[in-house]
Amino acid sequence: MGYIGGMSTPCGTLVEIRDAIRSGAMSSVDAVRGCLERIEALDGTVCAFTQVFAEKAIADAGAIDARIAAEGAERVGALAGVPVALKDNICLDWGKTTCCSRILEEYESPYTATAAQRLIDAGAVIVGKTNLDEFAMGSSTEHSCFGPSRNPWDTERAPGGSSGGSAAAVAAGMVPLALGSDTGGSIRQPAALCGIVGVKPTYGRISRWGLVAFASSLDQIGPMTRTVEDAGLALDVLCGEDPLDSTSARVEVPAFTDRLRDPIEGLRIGVPAQARSEQNDPDVARVFEETVERLRTMGAEIVDIDLPHMGAGIAAYYIVAPAEASSNLARFDGIRYGRRAEIDQGEDLETLYSRSRAEGFGGEVRRRIMLGTYVLSSGYYDAYYNTALKARRLIKGDFDAVFSADASGAGVHAVLLPSTPTPAFRIGEKIDDPLALYLEDIYTVTANLAGIPGVSVPAGFAEVEGKRLPVGVQLLCPAFGEVNMLRIAAGLADSSALETMPAG
Amino acid sequence: MVGLEIHVELATRSKMFTRVGSPACDEFDGAAPNTLIDPVVLGLPGALPVMNKAAVEMSMLVGLAMGCSIAPFTKWDRKSYYYPDLPKAYQISQYDLPLCFDGAFDLPLEDGSTKRIGIIRAHLEEDAGKLLHELPGGRKADFSIVDYNRAGTPLLEIVTAPDFGSADELVAFARTLRNVCRFLGVTEGVMKKGHMRFEPNINLVLTLDDGHEVKTPIVEIKNLNSFKALKGAVEYEQKHQAARWEEDGKVMGPGSKTTRGWNDAENKTFVQREKEDAHDYRYFPDPDLAPVVVDEAWVAEVRSRLPELPHERSARYQDECGLSAKESLALTEERDVCYFFEDISEAAIEAGAPTSAAWKQAANMVLQSGAKRANERGVLTNELGITATQVAGIIALRLGDEIGSSAADELFGMLCESDADAKTEAERHNLLQVRDEGAMQAWVDAALADPANAKVVEDLRGGKMSAIGRLIGAVMKASGGQADAKLIQAKIKETLGV
Repeated sequence: MGYIGGMSTPCGTLVEIRDAIRSGAMSSVDAVRGCLERIEALDGTVCAFTQVFAEKAIADAGAIDARIAAEGAERVGALAGVPVALKDNICLDWGKTTCCSRILEEYESPYTATAAQRLIDAGAVIVGKTNLDEFAMGSSTEHSCFGPSRNPWDTERAPGGSSGGSAAAVAAGMVPLALGSDTGGSIRQPAALCGIVGVKPTYGRISRWGLVAFASSLDQIGPMTRTVEDAGLALDVLCGEDPLDSTSARVEVPAFTDRLRDPIEGLRIGVPAQARSEQNDPDVARVFEETVERLRTMGAEIVDIDLPHMGAGIAAYYIVAPAEASSNLARFDGIRYGRRAEIDQGEDLETLYSRSRAEGFGGEVRRRIMLGTYVLSSGYYDAYYNTALKARRLIKGDFDAVFSADASGAGVHAVLLPSTPTPAFRIGEKIDDPLALYLEDIYTVTANLAGIPGVSVPAGFAEVEGKRLPVGVQLLCPAFGEVNMLRIAAGLADSSALETMPAG
Repeated sequence: MVGLEIHVELATRSKMFTRVGSPACDEFDGAAPNTLIDPVVLGLPGALPVMNKAAVEMSMLVGLAMGCSIAPFTKWDRKSYYYPDLPKAYQISQYDLPLCFDGAFDLPLEDGSTKRIGIIRAHLEEDAGKLLHELPGGRKADFSIVDYNRAGTPLLEIVTAPDFGSADELVAFARTLRNVCRFLGVTEGVMKKGHMRFEPNINLVLTLDDGHEVKTPIVEIKNLNSFKALKGAVEYEQKHQAARWEEDGKVMGPGSKTTRGWNDAENKTFVQREKEDAHDYRYFPDPDLAPVVVDEAWVAEVRSRLPELPHERSARYQDECGLSAKESLALTEERDVCYFFEDISEAAIEAGAPTSAAWKQAANMVLQSGAKRANERGVLTNELGITATQVAGIIALRLGDEIGSSAADELFGMLCESDADAKTEAERHNLLQVRDEGAMQAWVDAALADPANAKVVEDLRGGKMSAIGRLIGAVMKASGGQADAKLIQAKIKETLGV
């Protein structure tokens, strides 16, 4: 398989493909075929995709090419002809929307998610759907009814999760853009472990209409790409208020790609004491310190800050998210759609419910439904759910305090954290230890709890057992502060000039 | 002690949390099963609710009419339970912060007094679908059928204080509330369509021989959808709770509340569920919906839309228009009939009729000529085809003594089928009274000369005036109904010299 002319990688970045199609150097059909070939060649190993719409994607690309010929690529849209993939918890009115769960294994959505529709309206061609931990619950993509995806940097290792299929697909050069969803780190953590860029936008930036809900107050769709510029381009298309989602924000959507080249000199970047945990892998700690130095070299002002309630993040998250999940997933009862268990003559409705759900949900999902049901039960609600909401407010208060100027000085423009405490772990390594897996989210959950945007960018490598594994760092910004966030992220990416794909 | 919960299906055009048509709205009434559905109604994966502002405003209208305060801040909560008619396995409702609260309504009673009924709260929620356990036509099935058309319809739940002393008071309140809701335009209030459903809570305070008081356990009777059932169920419980207590000795307390249903055929309640408190609905705030902030300007704007309510109109008809209590109540029973009545009165006054005569005549027309025909046809009086202007035309003819009362009624009937004005139609059918002296004299002379009337004429001459009716009838017949009865009588007397 050869590189397509002018592309830095077999599949090219989003911007490269867009430009090649715009200039007429490449057709959309060529771009889609290139992706399909790459998927064909690699996905037997990587297992990033749950479905590939090969025929439809080529037909869609042909139609886009015809429109480009008639109208010109720019009129067709910002992503005219570009192949993309969606995490399989985002609804399309074709194919299946499985959430990688037995209970929805055969489910066909009659409608398309707003985020997917925005990509389609911008001229993108959806080539397939990617693997995830069942209902986005997990940090390794091992909790998928279709089996785990594999990390392209070391296929013995997990790509992270829950958007592990999307991360692996982008890292392996199968598509230049895949959408993920991030409830507690599900975009940023796999992006970090796969050496790509993953953005969790501000809560409300991108419509959740058609994203199968895990925890409604935390879920957010976001782009996973190989460059920061690609992420900005995707955000330009994806963001904006949606009348079908009352939690989507009525705020102006800036041009995210406009200020990526602005120097970051003079920006204040907060480094919380909590970032330097002793639990961090030594390579993660080293890459983090290198990143701090690079930012300093670029002229950023590094400010020591404190996020005193960050330690409560995991506990609060694992109460709020399961509580909402237990309610959101209650609808999967086998009555209207999805898997329905067989019951015998004389067995009652309750048996139908419990058997359908027991057969349909995997262990991790059942665990979280039980957790969530418990914390919302009368008598326990105050002790758990209300306490978690209090912790959530305190965590948000921590960020408000560091971002806003006060008597003690000016606020910071961004907070720097590791994306994950460790590089990619082996498949099966943590599967029997849910708490260890939950701790994967330690640096990511706070952004969801506070509703602020976060991005993970590749920042270096760890050497583990002779393999080079990517390490990411994370930038968090105030709500709707994505422009500054991407500007700093772009500066970091340029300065590190890392390869964004594993060799071979 | 009796309190009442009332569910009112609000007649918004779209459902509570989505744009699909709502069956409580006339436009979508009677839609085929499972046609008023979309991803939100069915609770499909990825679907999200968006609040219907019109439903919130309708609820505010009812709350304001019931004297409630409107919450400046309210929110949506999920009430969780599994049932096949509940698509998401939770109902979006309002738990601890209802939109309307702390109200009081002065219920007009038949004797002209009022009784104050406390309103604890009124909150908005979504209705469930309908589960059917037999096939259409009543055939047996070993499965159930579900129709989600009703699912997601906005439902206002009003909870009163236990202020009712009798089943009659309760029914009077229920009727008045329905009427108020109709005037507010928030529901058609058709009971058999389930637009309103009642759930009374009843217990008794028994005074024992030794002076001790005993409270019987509260019984909630579910889903009553007629006034007859409401009255029957409450009276049944009032009769039987004392006996139940004597049998089992159970008194009011935590966990003692039971839920009963109503058997319409046998006129009795039956146990549905013991121990209401065993349910844990796991309420928590719905993260898909923003809280609702209601500022004073919004309340003021909604309040400005409050129409004059039926009990207020009834009082005005009695105080200012000289109508009786009975007439006033009858005229305010149906919003559209009431508006029709007021339109007639106004048109008559505009055409020159004296105010009190106009109201009185309009009331007569609506309650007699109109009600009679409306009953026959099964429609409302305002739907008979006759316009307020046409009725005002009849009133003008009556007040000008140009038409008799029976001819006026006949003309009313004719105008239901005609677009002509009252006078034109009356002329076309010779309904106007004849005052022509010559013609009148000729009809009277002919009647007196008729041998068949000889005996009557003799009686009259002998001073037996009660016989005159027969002669008047004969003259009227000869005139084709156009003569004025009073004039005929005078002419007969004059001719006979009695």
